[in-house]
Amino acid sequence: CVAGFSPRGGGRGGGRGGFGDRGGFGDRGRGGFRGGRGKCPSPGITGVVMQHKHSRPTHLGVLGTCVCVCVGVFICRGKEDALVTKNMVVGESVYGEKRISVEEGETKIEYRAWNPFRSKLAAAILGGVDQIHIKPGAKVMYLGAASGTTVSHVSDIVGPEGLVYAVEFSHRSGRDLLNVAKKRTNIIPIIEDARHPHKYRMLVGMVDVIFADVAQPDQTRIVALNAHNFLRNGGHFVISIKANCIDSTAAPEAVFASEVKKMSSENMKPQEQLTLEPYERDHAVVVGIYRPPPKQKK
Amino acid sequence: MLVLFETAAGYAIFKVLDESKLQQVDSLYKEFETPEKANKVLKLKHFEKFQDTTEALAAATALVEGKIGKSLKKVLKKIVAKEAHEQLAISDAKLGGVIKDKLDISCVHSPAVAELMRCIRSQMEGLITGLPARDISAMSLGLAHSLSRYKLKFSPDKVDTMIVQAISLLDDLDKELNNYIMRCREWYGWHFPELGKIVTDNLAYCKTVRKIGDRTNVAGSDLSELLPEEIEAEVKLAAEISMGTEVSEQDIANISHLCDQVIEITEYRVQLYDYLKNRMMAIAPNLTVMVGELVGARLISHAGSLLNLAKHPASTVQILGAEKALFRALKTRKDTPKYGLIYHASLVGQTTAKNKGKISRMLAAKTALAIRYDALGEDTNAEMGVENRAKLEARLRQLEDKGIRRISGTGKAMAKADKYTNISEVKIYDPSGDSTIPSTSKKRKIEEVEEPDDAEPATPVSKPKKAKKELVTEEETAEAPEETPKKKKKKKKDKKSEEAAEEAAEVEAKEEEMEVPLTESTEKKKKKKKKKVKEEEADDE
Repeated sequence: CVAGFSPRGGGRGGGRGGFGDRGGFGDRGRGGFRGGRGKCPSPGITGVVMQHKHSRPTHLGVLGTCVCVCVGVFICRGKEDALVTKNMVVGESVYGEKRISVEEGETKIEYRAWNPFRSKLAAAILGGVDQIHIKPGAKVMYLGAASGTTVSHVSDIVGPEGLVYAVEFSHRSGRDLLNVAKKRTNIIPIIEDARHPHKYRMLVGMVDVIFADVAQPDQTRIVALNAHNFLRNGGHFVISIKANCIDSTAAPEAVFASEVKKMSSENMKPQEQLTLEPYERDHAVVVGIYRPPPKQKK
Repeated sequence: MLVLFETAAGYAIFKVLDESKLQQVDSLYKEFETPEKANKVLKLKHFEKFQDTTEALAAATALVEGKIGKSLKKVLKKIVAKEAHEQLAISDAKLGGVIKDKLDISCVHSPAVAELMRCIRSQMEGLITGLPARDISAMSLGLAHSLSRYKLKFSPDKVDTMIVQAISLLDDLDKELNNYIMRCREWYGWHFPELGKIVTDNLAYCKTVRKIGDRTNVAGSDLSELLPEEIEAEVKLAAEISMGTEVSEQDIANISHLCDQVIEITEYRVQLYDYLKNRMMAIAPNLTVMVGELVGARLISHAGSLLNLAKHPASTVQILGAEKALFRALKTRKDTPKYGLIYHASLVGQTTAKNKGKISRMLAAKTALAIRYDALGEDTNAEMGVENRAKLEARLRQLEDKGIRRISGTGKAMAKADKYTNISEVKIYDPSGDSTIPSTSKKRKIEEVEEPDDAEPATPVSKPKKAKKELVTEEETAEAPEETPKKKKKKKKDKKSEEAAEEAAEVEAKEEEMEVPLTESTEKKKKKKKKKVKEEEADDE
C-alpha cells in the first residue's frame, strides 16, 4: 500500500497517527462501512465496499479494502491507510503519486493516493470536515489551481459529468496545469487573474461549488467577486485560509474570525470551520453557503 | 433595453420584455427559475455564432483586454442599424465606455445588470435555443485551451528567461567542470603525480593527459602546441623519474574519456558565454554597456526578470546580492553594505578601495535608468548607456583627483596650494637612551634630566612591565628595605597602578635619595649600587 506520505515541509509522522484516530469515522455516521448509511449513499459503492470487506490482496500492488468517505473519496485500508480517489485516466500519475489497483469481480478499478500534506482539501477531509460539497456531476470552480495536483483529484471526484474550472495566474504553473487538462476533459484551464472574473466570463457557466486556495490577503473579496458572477443561489464555497498570509502579526484565531466576518457581509454564510492540524500550521478551512434559499416560515 | 451576453459559442443579444422586473433586483432570480419563466422576461434577438476557433480566440482576447473585436463590432453595428435608441446592458463597465466612444451606443452597467447577467448565465441553455449544453461546454473547453496556450506562448516577458537560464547553466557548468577537473587530476596523479604540479592550467593538463596517456609515451610525443617549451622539457624530465604507479590500458582509456568530457564541457562553456553575450546585447543593450554582460545577466537572474529588475529603485540595484549582510546590519543597527553584485562591474573594480562605495552608488543610479529604458522603452539602442557611461567615467576621474579640486563651494575653483619651502631637518642620535643604569655624575645629571623622561613614558599603565618592575624594585629597595620579600612582591602586584601615578614624584624622590648616598665618594656609591643590584637580583630570584 502507500508507504506513508512525504510532507512538503518538515517531516510529520503525526499524519498517520492522526489517521488512526480517525477510526472514529464510523462514530460520526459518515462512513458507510460500519453498516450505517449516513452520508455515504449509492448502494453501488457501498455494495462494493461490503463485498470487499474481507478480501485479501491477490497479487502485489493490490490492496485490501477500499472504503467510501465522502462521495467519490475513498480510504484504502491495508498495511497503511491512505486517502484515494478513483483515477479517471487509468494508468497515469499526475504528480508521481502512488496508484492502487483493486479488483472488483471482473473489472479492475484504479485509485490514486491523495497526499494530505500537499493538498488542503485532503487535509480538510481527513481532519473531519462534514461536507465538501464536491460530488460526482458537480460543477466546481477552483481558484488558485497551481500545477493541478489537487485539481486532478477534484476532477476524479466530479467525474466525466462534472466540470472543474481551474483558474491560475502564474505562467509556469499554468503550463503544468495545461498539461493536466489535456488528459482530463472535464478540467477547463483558465490562465487569468482571479481578481477580474469578468475577464473570463466567456468561458464559465454557473457553478455549484467554489473552492479557493489562493493565499492572498484579499482572498475573501476575490471569492466574493467570483461568487457574485458565477456561483448559483444556494451554492457552496470552501475557502482555505492561511493566517500568515492575511496578517502575519495577528493571532490565527483572530484572523479566521475576521475573515468569517468579511464573508458574512458579502452574503456568504459560513457553516463550518476547522483547522488543518496536524497537516498544516495556522491554516483553516471554512465551508459555507451562498445566498441560502429563504427559510420556509411555518 | 438590450442585453449583450458573451458565450464561448458566440455573442447573444437579448431584448428585455418586461423592464419592471428589473427594478426588483433581489427577487429577479425567481423569474429565472425555469426556462419558460425566463423566456417571458427576455427574448433572444440575435445570436452571432463564431465561425471557427480563430475567430473565437480573437474575440476572447479582445474581451480580456477590454477592447472591441471584429465580430463584436459586426454584431453591434447590426443592432445600431435596428434600434439606435435602446440602451445596451453589458457585464464590463470598461467595455461599455469603449463601445460608447466608438459606436455611440449608450451602455449601462449596474448591480441590477449584474444580477441579470447571473440569471441569464444560470439559464443559458434555456434562453439560447438551438445550442445544446454539450456544444457550449465543448466550445468553452476548446476556447479555454487555445486561449491559455496563446497566453503562455506569447508572453513578452519570456524573452529574458533565456538569460536567466543561460546564467544558471553557466554557474552549473563551472561547478561541474571544477569537480571533473579535480577528479581527473587526482586520478591521473596516481600514475604521474609530477604532471599535476608542473602543468597548472586545467585545460592544458587535460589535453596533455589525453595526448600522452601512459607516461612512458611522454618522451616520444610532441607537446609543443599544448605547452610552452620549458614546461614541456620539465614534463619530459619528470616522466623519467616519476614515482607514480603503473596503470593498465583500460585505466588510461577511462581517464582519457574523462579528459574528453572536460575538454568538451570547456568548449561548450565558451560557446554558452558567447551566446549569453549576444542575448544580453540584444535584450538589454544599455545595461550591458553600463555594467558588462556577466554582471547584467546576474542582476536579471537575481531579480527574476528584466521587468522585475526595472521595478527596483537604484538603492536596491546597488545592494542586490548582499541581502544577508543587509538584513544583518539592519537588525543589529550597524552599517549596511555598500555594494552587492555590482561590485564585480569593471567601473567599480578599477577604483581605489576608498572610492568603491561612491562609484557603486553612482553606477547603481545610472544603471537603474538604463534598466528601465531597456525594459520599458520602445527602441533598443545603446546610445543612452554609452552616454551615461562616459559621464560616469568623467566623474570617476574627478574623484581620483579630488585633492586638486576644491571640495566645498562650487567645486570648480582650484584649491590653493602653499608655495614649496625646503625645511632641512637633521636629526642627531642621542646615545643617553642606550643604558638605563645611571653611572657618572655627569651622566647622572643627564640622567636626572633623562630619567623623568624615562619615567614619564612609563606612567601610562600599558608601558613595558619589566621597566616598571625594575623601577618598582628599585623603589622598594630604596624605600623600605626591612619589608619582607613576600610583601614586596604583593606590593609589586597590587600597587603597580599607584606606582605608575606616583612614579614621577617618587623617581625624583629616589633621585634625591640616590643623590644623598651618592654625595659620598663614587666608589662607595658604586659599591652600594652594586649591592643594590645584587639585592635586586636576590629579590628577583
